[in-house]
Amino acid sequence: MGTFAQQLINGISLGSVYALIAVGYSLVYSILLFSNFAHGGFIVIGGYTCYYALRSMGNNIWVGGFLALLATGIAAALTERIAYRPIRERTDIKLYLLIASLGMSIVIENLFVVTIGGRFRALPPVIPTNPVRLFGITTTSAFDLLSMVVAVIFLTGLQLFIKKSKWGLAIRAAACDLRTAGLMGVNVNMLISIVFFVAGVLAAVGGIFLSVRYTLYPQLGAITIKAFVAAVVGGLGSLPGAVVGSLILGLAEMLTAGFISSQLRDLVVFSLLVITLLVKPTGLFGKEPLEKV
Amino acid sequence: MTTLEPILSIRELVVSYGAIKALHGISMDVYEGEIVCVIGANGAGKSTLLNSVMGAVPIEMGEILFEGKPLAKRSHKVVASGISLVPEGRKIFGPLTVSENLMVGAFLRKDKEQVQEDLEWVYTLFPRLKERKDQPGATLSGGEQQMLSIARSLMSRPRVLLLDEPSLGLAPILIKEIFDELKLINKRGVTIVLVEQNARQALMLSHRGYVMQTGRVIIQGPSMELLSDPRVKMAYLGKLKT
Repeated sequence: MGTFAQQLINGISLGSVYALIAVGYSLVYSILLFSNFAHGGFIVIGGYTCYYALRSMGNNIWVGGFLALLATGIAAALTERIAYRPIRERTDIKLYLLIASLGMSIVIENLFVVTIGGRFRALPPVIPTNPVRLFGITTTSAFDLLSMVVAVIFLTGLQLFIKKSKWGLAIRAAACDLRTAGLMGVNVNMLISIVFFVAGVLAAVGGIFLSVRYTLYPQLGAITIKAFVAAVVGGLGSLPGAVVGSLILGLAEMLTAGFISSQLRDLVVFSLLVITLLVKPTGLFGKEPLEKV
Repeated sequence: MTTLEPILSIRELVVSYGAIKALHGISMDVYEGEIVCVIGANGAGKSTLLNSVMGAVPIEMGEILFEGKPLAKRSHKVVASGISLVPEGRKIFGPLTVSENLMVGAFLRKDKEQVQEDLEWVYTLFPRLKERKDQPGATLSGGEQQMLSIARSLMSRPRVLLLDEPSLGLAPILIKEIFDELKLINKRGVTIVLVEQNARQALMLSHRGYVMQTGRVIIQGPSMELLSDPRVKMAYLGKLKT
């Protein structure tokens, strides 16, 4: 019972970090309809910015976190500006964007390899990881609880932004029809920059937590493949779908690791992907192809 | 009309899609307060014309003047200067509610109180939209969606409203209803440019008309004259019986 509850919490905690990554990825997908593989790079940028901010500015997680979020948001918007916008303005074919994003993911990863090297780094111990006894039945770590709380805060913030703000409304409109949103007076390039900024900020939060969980290295971004799977399981382009998909994935991984074998966790993850694609390719909350009038 | 300067002036406009020329040097003047219709068969370049005014299609040659000044080339700036388009096929935001759709139309506006006034106005024009204001746009019928699409484009408080085939796929009774509303919108001071395949009704509604064929204006004049012009009759009105 204790172990089960513990793995449950671990799973939700891991799932909530996936959710931060998957939601940003899915947000970009919902507007531009391509899979942004450079999203993993954003995670790495977030992790390293936080690492260096902490090292050089006296281990203050508020300062380090803030700088990491800001820098990653800007880097994400910049990635779009440099690599995707020139393509977007010339063609509607999404495949070029997909290829450009693969390229950007390699560029970002190797920028880190070349400049600061490929070795593993641990974030200074600014995020508590001490064990916490929960309701007298199980033990978990403060880190797991914290990552859940932070994920909930950021996802709620995103939800408020999307549902209540003027730009949020424009983003929802653009998610059903970008071109028409532009015809209604929405500055489409600005909207896309905002979307990338938001996706970058969320990726940075995920990146900081992943760097604590797994240490920091230039290939850390590869973990986004899990977030991609989560987004597909939940339904590409659907934000609630990305959250639910991430939680399912996190739980599946941790329960497999806890009760079957740690070696099998990735197998389970990709089986989930295959099953989703076979049974319901649009995912749990995915948009069915819209009727054309 | 008048000898005043046109509010919207299109001069020698050339637009191509790759190697294919869609507009071969179109010129057109629209005066304040008018309803102008553009008729012509499929592929005549009518939609391209509207889209190039909106900055949604790049212009190869020629120019578009709004109140005598060159018009901006990006859609959101065109909307900001006072022109909006009711796109072909309605293009409403299906998952968004009716009132959210309307608020997207008002995206650029900062004058909150007047936005509320305009919202009330479009709800009076189209009472069915008010009844359905919290319903997702996708649940509306075709006619209601067209009403929503027109109302949404009015929410930017345009001085010139462009409409791309608003009658497409609608029952005759609904077309009449929508054209009646267009007359009311025009009475309120909104200049209207109507692109239609439904030539007879468009000519009956409008003051002046242009007939387009394969990217050129072939006939133009007061709508009444076009209605009785034998060339127009033969090509566009011939098969219709009244």
